[in-house]
Amino acid sequence: MTLEAVKAAAESNVWTAIFPELMLGCIALLLLALEIMLPKRLHSLIPDLAAAGLLGTLIGFLVNWDSASVGTTTFNGLLIHSPTGQFMRAFFLLAAFFVCLLGRIALAKQRMPRVEFFHIVLVVTAAMMLLAQSNHFVTLFVALETLTIGLYILVAYHRTSTASLEAGLKYLVMGALSSGMLLFGIVLLYGVAGNAALPGHTAQGMNYAELARFLAANPNNFVACLGIVLVLAGVAFKIGAFPFQIWVPDVYQGAPTPVTAFLAVGSKAAGFAVLLALCGPGGAFAPCAWLTEPILMAMAVATILFGNIAALTQHNVKRLIGLSGVSHAGFLLLGVVAARQVPSAVGAIQFYLLAYLIASFAVFGVMTHLAGAEDSDQELDHYAGLAKEHPFLATVLAVGLGSLAGIPPLAGFMGKFLVFVAVFKAGHGTSLIIAAIGVVISIYYYFGWIKAAFFESWAPAADAAPARPARTPVGLAAGLALGTLAVASVVLGFWQGPLGSWLVLK
Amino acid sequence: MIPATLNGYLAIAVALFAIGLVGVLVRRNTLVVFMCLELMLVASTLALVAFSRFNGTMDGNVFVFFILTVAAAEVAVGLAIIVALFRKRQTIQIDQLNTLKH
Repeated sequence: MTLEAVKAAAESNVWTAIFPELMLGCIALLLLALEIMLPKRLHSLIPDLAAAGLLGTLIGFLVNWDSASVGTTTFNGLLIHSPTGQFMRAFFLLAAFFVCLLGRIALAKQRMPRVEFFHIVLVVTAAMMLLAQSNHFVTLFVALETLTIGLYILVAYHRTSTASLEAGLKYLVMGALSSGMLLFGIVLLYGVAGNAALPGHTAQGMNYAELARFLAANPNNFVACLGIVLVLAGVAFKIGAFPFQIWVPDVYQGAPTPVTAFLAVGSKAAGFAVLLALCGPGGAFAPCAWLTEPILMAMAVATILFGNIAALTQHNVKRLIGLSGVSHAGFLLLGVVAARQVPSAVGAIQFYLLAYLIASFAVFGVMTHLAGAEDSDQELDHYAGLAKEHPFLATVLAVGLGSLAGIPPLAGFMGKFLVFVAVFKAGHGTSLIIAAIGVVISIYYYFGWIKAAFFESWAPAADAAPARPARTPVGLAAGLALGTLAVASVVLGFWQGPLGSWLVLK
Repeated sequence: MIPATLNGYLAIAVALFAIGLVGVLVRRNTLVVFMCLELMLVASTLALVAFSRFNGTMDGNVFVFFILTVAAAEVAVGLAIIVALFRKRQTIQIDQLNTLKH
């Protein structure tokens, strides 16, 4: 490599393009430093600082939305700054902000160190944001592993609780298995793309654009196809798609509630960001659509059916929301399949994700207020009589669940509607029948939950059954956040405004 | 002396990967499962170095360092969780870790 080449490579390192991620890293380190320097009585300020830092970063990012780097690749092709990537970055910042709010409430019930939780949330968020912009398998792998390893720690965070530790171990084994498969797929793709005997071979087999060019020249190469299947399997683990969803109920139940929310929203959205970059329009695997499309389609249909049917029999609300999240991943997968032919599907997926974020955090917020010291023990029965005791929490819960179920005036309905329209336009009308069946099944269990909160009264059992945990009083910040989420779910259903037109017409 | 060919290295890598995968699915001791997971990563590393050498590109060799770092971080977190779990339950056999059942 000559000096000129090194200089050219260094010039493509546009550090301002990843300023939000650097900012998060600095705040994360600052939190640890503050824990050492501040007196004990001021330690309760640190979670607030983390939330404020995330909100500040988000606002700064939105103000500088149209920065000059959008539409370019930086860091020698390691990162690409696309409008989709920009949306996902804002999405992850918003999700992490709500995780911090939930974390403040949930951690107060445990005798647990607080600061590390928020430190890891910030680092994981930065990793997710880089993942959404990756344009190279090295960035993909490193960002994905930073994200996953951070989540291993978060899932096992209640280290005095057996359920949390077991969930952490299960997530670790499953996550490492999926990473191993993903990595082997990457290696096969890199190796075959660099094979000098094949037409269109490239020295940069890990760069998405170069790989797409190679695959366009050899769409039927066996080793390349094997690599693609392994990479898709690895990503399917992260989003919890069938047949890689076995870890979802156990891990969602055992993890602390804010972490469950982070897994359900952030980690899943990160998986879809990767999937869109690989299989979406102009993605690395786009030339092999003959292979990826049937796989994703079969996965989507099986995921919708499995998630909804398995959720029917659950009594633990964390398992229930985990399995319902599996079915949401199925709907989103349908959108990914459609995205290659119908570009508006990408906007539809993003709107779906946003509606899912708003509704999920409303529900998780209510769950956090109802959880006791043993976080994995949250049964449907505990919701009996909620409407009488806490009309506010019950209303937020009903709006959130209604939006998740896709009841017409709410945001979740618009998300499903936009995705289904895109799927129909792409000519996959038959799969919509399965999706409709899935929606109908899901209404049953979501309404079972709403029914428990509104129409059942709590009768303490005469025998020595364990009492349900006391409800946590709603604080000012949490109340404000939950109210905003509920209102946003309603408003986004009626009026999508500039956001909707930007997402769909972009 | 067997000549070093790409296919030879790949065969070993695939064999290691398969042993690791089967081990993860079959073995009951968490520590053994953990070693099998590492075996899968090592298989990828070996294939990567072989591809890098025979294709004449350096990317693969550089990627190996990232994989090693990630694997080390994963082991650190994993062993910490296993130790914490052993203190709590006095076992690390997978079939006895069944608190999370509905």
